[in-house]
Amino acid sequence: MEEAKRDEEEPKQQQIWSWGAGTEGQLGTGKLEDEYLPQLLHLPFLYSAGSISTLACGGAHAIALTSVGKVFTWGRGTTGQLGHREMLNSLHPKPVSSLQSYVITHVSAGWSHSGFVSEIGLLFTCGDGSFGQLGLGDYRSQSTPVKVDYFANNFVNQIACGMRHSLVMLKGNQVYGFGSGKRGQLGISRDKIKSVNLPQVTCGLEDVQIVSISANGDHSAAISADGHLYTWGRGFAGAADANFPQLSLSSLRCTKAALGWNHGLLLTGDEEVLMLGGNYHGGLCDLEKMSAVKHRSDSSRATLNEVIGLDGVKVVKIAAGAEHSALVTGRTWGWGEHGQLGLGNTNDQTIPQTVSLSPDIQNKEASLNVYCGSGFTFAIRCSREQIYESINPENRTMKSRNVSYKCSAVVSHVKLLSLFPHLQRNVWFGILKASYQ
Amino acid sequence: MSYDNVEIEDMEWNEELQAFTYPCPCGDFFQITKDDLQLGEEIARCPSCSLYITVVYNQEDFLRDKDKSKKKDLEPAKQLPISVA
Repeated sequence: MEEAKRDEEEPKQQQIWSWGAGTEGQLGTGKLEDEYLPQLLHLPFLYSAGSISTLACGGAHAIALTSVGKVFTWGRGTTGQLGHREMLNSLHPKPVSSLQSYVITHVSAGWSHSGFVSEIGLLFTCGDGSFGQLGLGDYRSQSTPVKVDYFANNFVNQIACGMRHSLVMLKGNQVYGFGSGKRGQLGISRDKIKSVNLPQVTCGLEDVQIVSISANGDHSAAISADGHLYTWGRGFAGAADANFPQLSLSSLRCTKAALGWNHGLLLTGDEEVLMLGGNYHGGLCDLEKMSAVKHRSDSSRATLNEVIGLDGVKVVKIAAGAEHSALVTGRTWGWGEHGQLGLGNTNDQTIPQTVSLSPDIQNKEASLNVYCGSGFTFAIRCSREQIYESINPENRTMKSRNVSYKCSAVVSHVKLLSLFPHLQRNVWFGILKASYQ
Repeated sequence: MSYDNVEIEDMEWNEELQAFTYPCPCGDFFQITKDDLQLGEEIARCPSCSLYITVVYNQEDFLRDKDKSKKKDLEPAKQLPISVA
């Protein structure tokens, strides 16, 4: 009972906003409308299952993972991507009841499919399966999460869902791809592959220790333990497609990659943001205004560009929608027609703009996280108390799961620390300082 | 400017909309009907936003389809003349 009580109190320390395209109910506002300004959400049902530890936003649906490992979904459900045992949209977050008996630790939302990983390494998928992206050995769609038997004897760590494909990373770091492979996004063969409905090993990463994977549109990416970025699939900025993973600039040290449909964002260990591609809305269509700072020695691939207008501000979180981007501290840019930039209008922006969430958000009490779906955006604020509680090593051990999942900012701190032990102090304080500004 | 060039084989047939569709970055779908394709239309539009794509296809494939479907319509009609009237 005490546990439950504490969970009910937690939401007071967590606030959630959404904005952008909303005609499928993906904003969780209870309305089928686009929102041009951040909307503070009231989600009592979701709060009853603890605070949100992470969100995954897809084509027009969203998945919330709570601090106790429960999963809620809402938005478009017409191909079963919500996992609610029906092919219907949902205006409000609803629990994925078939996963109730599992503790889920990782979720991903693609264009029209979803992936869930449990704490014991089981993988479940649901939604559109017409390209084999569910990895179940057929091309059928599923309205309730189905266990991917191919990995029955493996421990799955992460899944990344793209437009029509999926990537899976196992404990032990092996990467697999399945679904549509037309643009090389599976990385499983030198030849063109239309699609596969069972997981196959991604070539060329066998000897690399991969720590995270990303997928969106027809792009795929992985980051290694030493911070190297590998990309494959559709080429950025008109570059040729890559049928298997390509190392981007070996001197680069990345901590996170966020992919759109025509651009990718990279967060470096120095809390700097670089961009791949982006000649469409994502835009920053105005390539002339951008300073190309780093070129790969192999000129067949797209160059990495600095994002202008940040003026040296340290960045702690990045997220990419199909054609827009967001970063913490709270700036957005790119395609704005649906209000997905949260600036109160439908203008496109080529330079990051500050989004105003609420009057007190700029004070020193909060840490923010941000998530982008195709045409929409979510922001979650965690209180300072939560952060302190979580970063205090004694508390973290004592309260284990409950605390470490409370705030996704903290989860990423932990990842960073394990990635860059030599940067421990700098990264740690860098993040907190930036979060509090 | 066209958002992308998409081959017809990469589009999906949507029975409900009676149109070929392809994901639009706004979350909706670009759409084009068979009638449009038979007329040689190359632009698939998104009903929710200003974006559009150029569909890459062979018009003749759809004109042939049209002939075939006409024949199909005729065959049962011969067997069941009453239903036609």
